Amino acid sequence: MKNLALGVNGKKIAASVEPRTHLGDFLREQQLLTATHLGCEHGVCGACTVLLDGRPVRSCITLAVACEGGQVTTLEGLVNDPVMIELREAFAAEHGLQCGFCTPGMLVSARDLVLRKPAADDRAVRIEMSGNLCRCTGYGGIVRAIRRVLDARKKTKT
Amino acid sequence: MAEGMGVGAAVRRREDERLLKGRGRFTGDIALVGMKDIALVRSPLAHARIRAIRVPPEHQGAVFTWADLAKGGVKPIRAVSGLPGFKISDQPPLADGKVRFVGEPVAACVGRTRAEAEDIAALVEIDFEELPVNADTLESARAPKSKIHDHWSDNLFLEADTVVGDIETIAASAPIKVSRQIRMARQCMVPLEGKGVVAVWERQAEQLTVHTSTQMPHIVRQGLAECLGVDQGLIRVIAPDVGGGFGWKGLLQAEEVIAAWLARALDHPVRWTEDRREHLVAAANAREHRYDITAYADATGRLLGLDARVLVDAGAYSAYPFSACLEVGQVGSILPGPYDFAHYRCHAVSVCTNKPPIVPYRGVARTGVCFAIEQIMDAIAGAVGREPHEVRLLNLVPPEKMPFVNVTKKHFDSGDYPESMRRAVAAIDLAGIRKRQKKGEADGRRIGLGLAIYCEQAGHGTAVYHGWGIPMVPGHELAQARITPDGGIEIRVGLQSHGQSMETTLAQVAHQVLGVDISKIKVVHGDTGLTPFSTGTWGSRAAVMGGGAVAAACKVLVERATKIGAHLLQAKPGDAKFENGFVRAGLGHVPLAEIARVWYRAPQLLPSDVDPGGLDVTAGYKPKSDQGTFSYASHAVVVAVDTETGAVEILDYVVVEDAGVMLNPMVVEGQVLGGIAQGIGTALYEEVPFDAEGQPLASTFADYLVPGFPEIPPIRIVHMTTPSPLTEFGQKGIGEGGAIAPPAAICNAINDALKPLGATLTDTPMSPKRVFAAIAAAVPPVGGPTNGRRVTPLGVHSHDDSLAAGNKP
Repeated sequence: MKNLALGVNGKKIAASVEPRTHLGDFLREQQLLTATHLGCEHGVCGACTVLLDGRPVRSCITLAVACEGGQVTTLEGLVNDPVMIELREAFAAEHGLQCGFCTPGMLVSARDLVLRKPAADDRAVRIEMSGNLCRCTGYGGIVRAIRRVLDARKKTKT
Repeated sequence: MAEGMGVGAAVRRREDERLLKGRGRFTGDIALVGMKDIALVRSPLAHARIRAIRVPPEHQGAVFTWADLAKGGVKPIRAVSGLPGFKISDQPPLADGKVRFVGEPVAACVGRTRAEAEDIAALVEIDFEELPVNADTLESARAPKSKIHDHWSDNLFLEADTVVGDIETIAASAPIKVSRQIRMARQCMVPLEGKGVVAVWERQAEQLTVHTSTQMPHIVRQGLAECLGVDQGLIRVIAPDVGGGFGWKGLLQAEEVIAAWLARALDHPVRWTEDRREHLVAAANAREHRYDITAYADATGRLLGLDARVLVDAGAYSAYPFSACLEVGQVGSILPGPYDFAHYRCHAVSVCTNKPPIVPYRGVARTGVCFAIEQIMDAIAGAVGREPHEVRLLNLVPPEKMPFVNVTKKHFDSGDYPESMRRAVAAIDLAGIRKRQKKGEADGRRIGLGLAIYCEQAGHGTAVYHGWGIPMVPGHELAQARITPDGGIEIRVGLQSHGQSMETTLAQVAHQVLGVDISKIKVVHGDTGLTPFSTGTWGSRAAVMGGGAVAAACKVLVERATKIGAHLLQAKPGDAKFENGFVRAGLGHVPLAEIARVWYRAPQLLPSDVDPGGLDVTAGYKPKSDQGTFSYASHAVVVAVDTETGAVEILDYVVVEDAGVMLNPMVVEGQVLGGIAQGIGTALYEEVPFDAEGQPLASTFADYLVPGFPEIPPIRIVHMTTPSPLTEFGQKGIGEGGAIAPPAAICNAINDALKPLGATLTDTPMSPKRVFAAIAAAVPPVGGPTNGRRVTPLGVHSHDDSLAAGNKP
């Protein structure tokens, strides 16, 4: 077991983990933060996406011990984030989710896209989001939801 | 679109709030005090006898095998069909002396964490005696290398013949004969959440509670009780939030039996969580059909007869409850599609192989069947020199013949099939595409247009299922409706919603009848302890059956509330009527909340002859005929094919569908789009290949390609609305539909693009390798272009393995 000190959703955490434990398991099993979902555990589906020091990472292929000193933010930590509030509203309006299992990772990636590529067109949205799989929606509603947020933010800026 | 929040309104989903905040509760999120994790030792071999299982002494007591379960009274899973000739097989939840597919559970290991359980699993040694493997469908059917179930005479679950009319006479006289050999690959269903089980013996309730990610909690309870040899009353099955199912969660799973037994035997909670590799290797397999199909037509393209031999590769066991006969049964009865013709013969065989059992995946056999018949319709069009849609229009059941009983006695309830085809052709701009094809593409790719049409029997019940004699026959669908003391509504259904939005749509139904604001209507589902019996969510049945049942229960509430309301208004019951949440009589009115208050808290004010059942009712529902509703759709797609690489891009996709009256158009569109995305996966990307030793070759998402954002194009939906005459609101089941037609439409589009090269694709997935191979193998028509490269790519095999009897040993 290794001692681990890191920030999770703004709180300082001191924990003891096995070196092999990945961040997703650490968050879910030890911190009981179950918004982060594990869809493949080999870094493809994106359901487990969280922020590490502000950047999206796949928590299933990030070892918890590698996050020593870092700041981890899960969907739970983004409940009051202004972009996330806009995304939630847009996902509901555009039917961007069905079963909701891929949704947390989808939202974390979408938030990153909205902040990083405010001018993205639909094609760019699809490419930027290509690291997240959804099996229910066929993606159309998710693209429309992200579009809605991008367009609304453009309007408020001008 | 309807206003308000009743039937027909695009109401926002009630489920979204929690799911968007990551506050859903999936099986893997459940943590119980003292809970331990299960990891399974799975067979690395496809066919072998188990000589010995060795458990390290330090882990005795943490590892369980079939011997332990059998000693504990566990019985194998057994899904028998009553169809004549069906061969019975037992599926022990842990292998009993023999393994029959790679990934079959052999031992269950229990640890404080999954990691610890996996560590123990890695130390369990199994001594196998390898047996010859039957990995190939054709070979297992015709020249098996070994018997998979020792007491059988061959490796066939069932052979089923459907014969109508006189195909031989038609064959001898028809001017047009076209044949195709077609294969739909084995697939994996891949809901984003794998399967999961948390089982606990509840000491105070003296009941085994099994939280499991299932589509059918009541059927899982029934199956668990049978396997564990206990009363159903001893078991409660709860499906919490379920992360997609698509069929994979519509069965009793071996792991559910194992976890349930362990929880009771060990007297502490246990959890098993399917990881993605387990899912791709050991489970959730579907499809794998082979067709040898011949159509006979007159010179105009009018279909005279259809003759098919079909093999369905059902894998090693008969999955509970649908059995290994469901797909072949469906193939025989639905291969004729939406067409009107008289002569039909189909020989369908369910083949047992050393692969995971197949489970009905969204669309079930329809996706394969549509793939076959829609290729044949294009072949007829080619043979008579007409546009594919013209030949379809000639053969589709016309609206004036509705309701229509087809060649296999399917009762098509309503609709205008030709109109959906015409609208699809118009929307995709066939004339414009033909012009563009003549001109050629600047980038050198070839474009093609493909069509497919199907009708989907949905919400079918007793009339269809009782003949199969499987462990589950749907009867009346039940719903419970209750007015709470403060005037709110609780709806309880035995269905399970895992993306279908029933917490919203069934509330819309209750609102439609009761007029209560949707925010005060709570839908409870997926828990055998709280809901009336239901066979669950499968077969596109929830909107039809659940919608009907909820309406029926709410109508009883209306009757009872009206009687109480009339009394409070000092009116005769006959003079009062229920309207939009109020009982009205004369100038007076009383709201439902006041009626509820009187029933629960001021019963002295009730009429003396009040129904003592009060404001809490269970009602049942069956449509006027439970032969099923028939939704239908035409799909039209334009693709661009790169003949140098074999890559296919979808340029445009149109679907014209008729779901009857939509309970919620937003939800219907979501179901259609999601289904199409899965159908595109079937068409272009998804396959679980096996080597000759039965080893699955796609065990990660790097090998098994699920379409992502860039692979799914924008899809245009055109709605038609022909209310079903059979159902409560005119709604039809449509949940599976989207997944049915894409492989057929895309295949026809690719073949249209490659027609000048003489190349034809017949198999899924139409991967670059397969497209390239088809081009390389093509013989261009005389005078046709020759820009397809004539190279045989490495690793590509042509298959000439006709299913016709006699041309193989």
